[in-house]
Amino acid sequence: MVELENTSVQVVSAVPLGHVLVDEKWRGSELVQKLQGKIRVLFEDGLGLVDFHLSNRCCVIYISEADLVVGSSYKRKLVRFRNASNLRGIVVVEKTRMSEQYFPSVQKFVLLELGMALIPVADQGEASQLIIQLVHEESKERDHNPFLRRNRLHLAEPSVLNTIQQIPGVGKIKALSLLQEFPSIHHLGNATTEELSAVVGHTVAQQIRAFFS
Amino acid sequence: FGIQGKTSPLCVLVDSREISSGPEVASCLRIKYSIKTEIQSLCGCDYIVSNRMAVTRKLVSDFASSMNKNKFTEHIHQLQNMFERICIIVEKDRVKAGETSRIFQRTKYYDSMLSALISAGIKILFSTSQEETAGLLAELVNLEKRKNAAIVVPTEVKGPKQQALQFYLSIPNVSYITALNLCHQFSTVGQMINSSVDKISSCAQVSSHKAEEIYRYIHYAFDSQMLPARCIP
Repeated sequence: MVELENTSVQVVSAVPLGHVLVDEKWRGSELVQKLQGKIRVLFEDGLGLVDFHLSNRCCVIYISEADLVVGSSYKRKLVRFRNASNLRGIVVVEKTRMSEQYFPSVQKFVLLELGMALIPVADQGEASQLIIQLVHEESKERDHNPFLRRNRLHLAEPSVLNTIQQIPGVGKIKALSLLQEFPSIHHLGNATTEELSAVVGHTVAQQIRAFFS
Repeated sequence: FGIQGKTSPLCVLVDSREISSGPEVASCLRIKYSIKTEIQSLCGCDYIVSNRMAVTRKLVSDFASSMNKNKFTEHIHQLQNMFERICIIVEKDRVKAGETSRIFQRTKYYDSMLSALISAGIKILFSTSQEETAGLLAELVNLEKRKNAAIVVPTEVKGPKQQALQFYLSIPNVSYITALNLCHQFSTVGQMINSSVDKISSCAQVSSHKAEEIYRYIHYAFDSQMLPARCIP
């Protein structure tokens, strides 16, 4: 079921909905203790760079306060992840009093250079709450995400009427009578002054021609 | 199209409302990062940093309050209809003199919002002050420039072009920068409405999908029967 594609990131073929696959090294940690009981936790040995798999597409890499303070080895880790897999990686970083000075450079690196998502947490407790929400998000239907919902189709008529009224000299009444005669903006824009005069009178007809040409 | 000079200054469009809520952001962009800031009424976008990216600045207190959920999602929808890329900068609230900084209580709502936004591909950045927000905006402007999406048209519109700009802005889901591009890349409105989808796409600097939407709108056959009663004079 689990195959090794690359030494750095193990490809997981199936994380059941509502489960989180956790690297063995997290067993017994505060974070995992707080996850248990809320969502189902599965342990797996040697997930490599990834700390938590939320689904087949999405995973979390955790950067602790200590990682930040020690130096930039976390950068190498993230670059290796980025090169090794096309999973959607979310970087969770401990932003504490001690590590906050490093946060701007981490953010710049993760978001702007690697193009991954980054979320700061204060401690493992907050991280566990966050992971629970991320797992919920992954297990929901796409329609539940308000930012992924397809927008409803709107009738174009009111907008077209409004667009026509942006032409100098044309108000609502003239816009409507023009549209009866020339049903699209394209038609109207290509009508001759004579054709337009028949609907709105000579002066406005000239104004409309002048606007388009 | 030839106006893109190597020396052309970087540019950000700033919504006029942002000047009252975050005055230091714009001044910092101008002074510290030498980025040209053009203040305009952008109908809902706080900052436009490139031909395709809008940035919204949110205070943590505002972002974390579930009271604002509907308004916020509506706002993001609107941006999604206009822009290919959206970025949210969550900025720490300012502590007024004599006020002790409130401890931010992380809620389930806050985490679920972050999860939903990330899963929809919206970038989220965190900032502690207006200066830092300006720094992040500057980074984004530079990043978008490297990706050839920088704003290169003049941001001022004079004379009869202003009427053309209003006309383009009235097209549904056309952002201010797209209207501005249309305004400067087509010498007349007549030329624009007779253009092919490809031509619109290259001149307005939008995806072919977006160009098609604009093209369909220009060619849409109006039917007065379909007009809602409130629109009939």
